Amino acid sequence: MNTNKRIIRALVVICLLFLSLMTYLVWFNMFQADEVASSPYNKRQWEDERYVKRGNIYSSEGNLLAETIVDGDSRIRNYPRGNLYCHVIGYYSQVYGKSELEMSYDDELMGKGDINLTINEMRSGYDLYLSVIDELQEYAYELMDGRRGAVVAMEPTTGQILAMVSLPDFDPNTSSLEQEWSEMVEQENSPFLPRATQGLYPPGSTYKIVTASAAYENGMSDEVFEDTGGFRQGDVSVDNYGGSVYGTLDVREAFIVSSNQVFCELGYELGADRVKSAAEKFGVNKEFSFDIPVSKSEIQYSNMSDLDAALVSIGQGGLVMTPLQVAMIGSSVANNGVMLQPYIVEQVVTSSGTIMYQHEVTPLYNVMSADCAAFLQDMMTGVVEERNGTGRSAQIRGIDVAGKTGTAETDSGDDHAWFVGYAPADDPKICVAVVLENDGNAGGTTAGPIARDVMRKFLDISGYDY
Amino acid sequence: MGIGALRGKANYRRPAYLLILMDILGFCLLYVSNDYNINIIYTGLAILALFSIMYTILVRLNMGDKFIILMVFMLLMIGVLMLCRINIEYGFRQIVWIIVGGVAFFAAYIVYYNVKIWNKLWALYFLVGTFLFVFTLLFGNTVNGSKNWVSFGPVTFQPSEIIKILYIMCLACYYSESWKKPLFNKISVKWQTLAISYMFIGFLVLQRDWGTILVMYSIYLFMMYVYEKDKKFLFLNLGAACVVALLGYKFLSHIQVRVSTWLDPWADVSNKGYQITQSLMAIASGGYFGRGLGNGSPYYIPEVHSDFIFAAICEEMGIFGGMAVILLFFLIAYRCFKIAIMADDPFDKAVSYGVTVMFAIQTFIIIGGVTKFIPLTGITLPFVSYGGTSMIISFMSLGIIQAISAKTERKARQSN
Repeated sequence: MNTNKRIIRALVVICLLFLSLMTYLVWFNMFQADEVASSPYNKRQWEDERYVKRGNIYSSEGNLLAETIVDGDSRIRNYPRGNLYCHVIGYYSQVYGKSELEMSYDDELMGKGDINLTINEMRSGYDLYLSVIDELQEYAYELMDGRRGAVVAMEPTTGQILAMVSLPDFDPNTSSLEQEWSEMVEQENSPFLPRATQGLYPPGSTYKIVTASAAYENGMSDEVFEDTGGFRQGDVSVDNYGGSVYGTLDVREAFIVSSNQVFCELGYELGADRVKSAAEKFGVNKEFSFDIPVSKSEIQYSNMSDLDAALVSIGQGGLVMTPLQVAMIGSSVANNGVMLQPYIVEQVVTSSGTIMYQHEVTPLYNVMSADCAAFLQDMMTGVVEERNGTGRSAQIRGIDVAGKTGTAETDSGDDHAWFVGYAPADDPKICVAVVLENDGNAGGTTAGPIARDVMRKFLDISGYDY
Repeated sequence: MGIGALRGKANYRRPAYLLILMDILGFCLLYVSNDYNINIIYTGLAILALFSIMYTILVRLNMGDKFIILMVFMLLMIGVLMLCRINIEYGFRQIVWIIVGGVAFFAAYIVYYNVKIWNKLWALYFLVGTFLFVFTLLFGNTVNGSKNWVSFGPVTFQPSEIIKILYIMCLACYYSESWKKPLFNKISVKWQTLAISYMFIGFLVLQRDWGTILVMYSIYLFMMYVYEKDKKFLFLNLGAACVVALLGYKFLSHIQVRVSTWLDPWADVSNKGYQITQSLMAIASGGYFGRGLGNGSPYYIPEVHSDFIFAAICEEMGIFGGMAVILLFFLIAYRCFKIAIMADDPFDKAVSYGVTVMFAIQTFIIIGGVTKFIPLTGITLPFVSYGGTSMIISFMSLGIIQAISAKTERKARQSN
C-alpha cells in the first residue's frame, strides 16, 4: 500500500514536470517569442524575399525614399535620399535586421495578408506614402548643419508629421551600413538613436506651457509675484536664466520673460499631485501608438515631493521628454486644447493602386479647455512678438508667431537649447519643436531661428499668403 | 456478456477511428503541400496498416492495456509526418524501424510474459551492462561529441539505450527483495546497487553522454524514493549528486559550455549556441498555431530529425501542437503508472515503475532541452525522433509494460 502511495506521489512529480514544460512554452510564446523570431539570425525572415519585391516608400509629394532593387537572386534595399530619413524609415539589412518603419510596417511592405494564388512568381509588397514633405525635411536637415539634436514639424490640426530630423545620423544603405556598423555602435554620440522619437531630454522652460495651463485651470492665473532673481526653498535653489531679476510680475509677464522663480513658486504652490496630473494630461507617463517606436516621456520620481514639483514645473528635475512630445504639446495649444494622434504614414497602397490604409485624424487626449488654450496662445505670442520676449528670433514678417523658448540644464555638459512654436498664431498651419543637444546657448538664440526658418519654408511651400 | 462484449468492442474502436482520421488528414495535407509526392500517401497508409495490425492483435489477444498503443501510434504518426516533411527518406526508414520495433514489442511481450525468473538474474543484467559499456568504450564511434555508438557492419546502435533497461531490471531485483544476499557477507545489496549505479554513470561520463546520465540518475532517485526505507540514504545520494554536479561544473569544460549556452545562447549564436537558438527561433516563428504543415523551415535546425524534432513540430503545428505531444506523453505515463500501481508482483511493479519514469524523464529532458527550459543534453524523443535503437528499445520497454499489465488482468480475471 505504502509503495503505491509513493508511486502516486512520483506521478504527481512527473505531472508537475510536464505542466511546467507547458507553462514555460506558453510563457515563452507570450513574452519572448516576438523578440526571438525577429532576431536577425532567424533566416525565416528573409524567405519571403524570394517571392516578394518589398514595397517602396514615398514622401508626400511622391519622391522615392526607399526601393528594393532585384538583381537575380540578390535584393538590395536602396535609399536614394541617403542619410536624410535614416531615423524615420530606418534600415533593412539581412545582417543587422530592420528598424523604424522598415520594422513596424514590415508586414505591409512585404504585402502580407495578400491572398496569394500564384506560386514561385514574384509579387510586390505594398507601398507606403509618408506625410513628410521631402523638401521641408531636407531644408530642416540643412538648417541643423550637423549639430546634435532634433527637429519635429507637425500640422497642429491633423497630427501629420511634416518633417522629422534627428542628428547625428547614418547612411542606411546596406553596403555602408554593414561596413560601418561596428564602429558606429561604439560611437559616443550614438548615431543610431532616433533623437526625435527616442531621445529623452529635460524640456526646460518649454514646459512652462504645461505649468501655465495647470495654473490657469486651478484659478491661479491672476496671482502676482515678486521676482527676486531665484527660487529658494529648503535645499533647492534655482536662479533665473542669466541671473536676471524681474521685480513684480504677473503670470503672463513671467511666461514671456521666462522667470524660473515665478514658475517654481507656481509649481510649489500647486504641489506634487497637481503638477503630476497636469503633466499626465499632456501625455507624460503615458504611452501612445505611433508609426515608429517612441520612448515614453516621464517624470522619473517614484515619490515626488512639492520641491521636486517646483523643479518639474520649469522642465527640470526628474522630467524628461522626447522632442516629438514637446511638439505635440505645442500643437495641442494651437489646436484649441485637443492633442491629436501624430502620424507619419499617410497611406498604404498596393502595387495595383488599391488603398489598403488611409490615416484618419484621431484625437489623442483633451488636454485643456479652449479658454485655457487661448490664454496660453496669447502668452506664447507675447514670447515671440513682444519687446521683452525670449523668442523674438522666431518672428516672421507679416504674421504672428506663438512660441516658447527653453534652455535646459544638464547634469553633464552644456545646456540644451529648445524652441517650440507655431505659426500663424491665429490660424495655425505648422508647429515646430527644435532641440539642440548641449548647444550651450539660450533656446531663443539658436533653436528659435531654426524653427522660424522651417515654419517660413513650410508656409512658402504651401503657398500661404502673408 | 454479449452486450458487454459489444460495448467493449465499440469502446476500442472509437478512439481508433480518431487516430485513422488524423492520419488521413495529416498525410493528405502534407501530400498537397509537398508537391503531390505520392510516396507520402504510401507512408501514411503504411502507418495505418501497422496500427491496424498491432491494435487488432492487442485487442483480440487481450494483451493488457489497450490505450497506450493508441497514444504511441499517435506519436509515431506525428513523428513520421514530420520526418516525411523534412526528408521523405527518413519517413521511409522510420517505417522500417517501426516494423522492427513492432516485432521487438511482441517478442519482448512474449518473453517477459513467459519467463518467470527475471527477478533472479541481477548478475546477468549487471554483467551484460558492464560488457556493453566496455565494448562501447573500446569500439565505439563518436557522434556529436558523445562516444555512444557501436557499429556492426551496416548496423549501428546505441548500447546505452539497452543498458537503461538492464539497469532498471537490476534495480528491480533489489527493490522487489529477491536480491538480498550481501556480498562477502559484508556489503549489503543497497551499497552494491549504489556502486553499480555510480559505476554506470562513471562509464557514461567517459562516453560524454550527459543526457543518459540524467535519465539514469533520475530513475535511481525515483526508485529510491518509492522503495528505500532508509530516507537518509536517499538524501545522502541527493547530496552526493549535487556535489558531483558542482565538481563536474567546475572541472569539466563540456558541462560548463552546456550551462553557459543554456543561460545565454545568444552570446555565441553562430557557434556554441547555434543549435539551441535555431530551435528557439523555429518555436518562436511557429506561434500558437504554427506556420502550417509544410510551410515552416525546419531545415535550419541541426539534428532536426532526431533530437530537435520537437522544435520542428512546434514550428509547423504551433505551441498547441507541441503541448498536444507533451500531453500524449503524459497520458502514456499516466497509463503506465496505473499499470505499476495495479501490478501485484513486486518485481513487475518495480520494473513497470522504472520504465515509466524512464519514458517520462527522457521526454522531459529532451523537450525541456530544445525549448531552453533546462540545459540541452542530446537524447531522443521516444517514438517521435528518427532512429532505430531508440525505436526498438522504446517498443521493447512498452512490450514489457504491456506484459505486466496483461499479467495483472489475467490474475484479475482468474480471481473473478
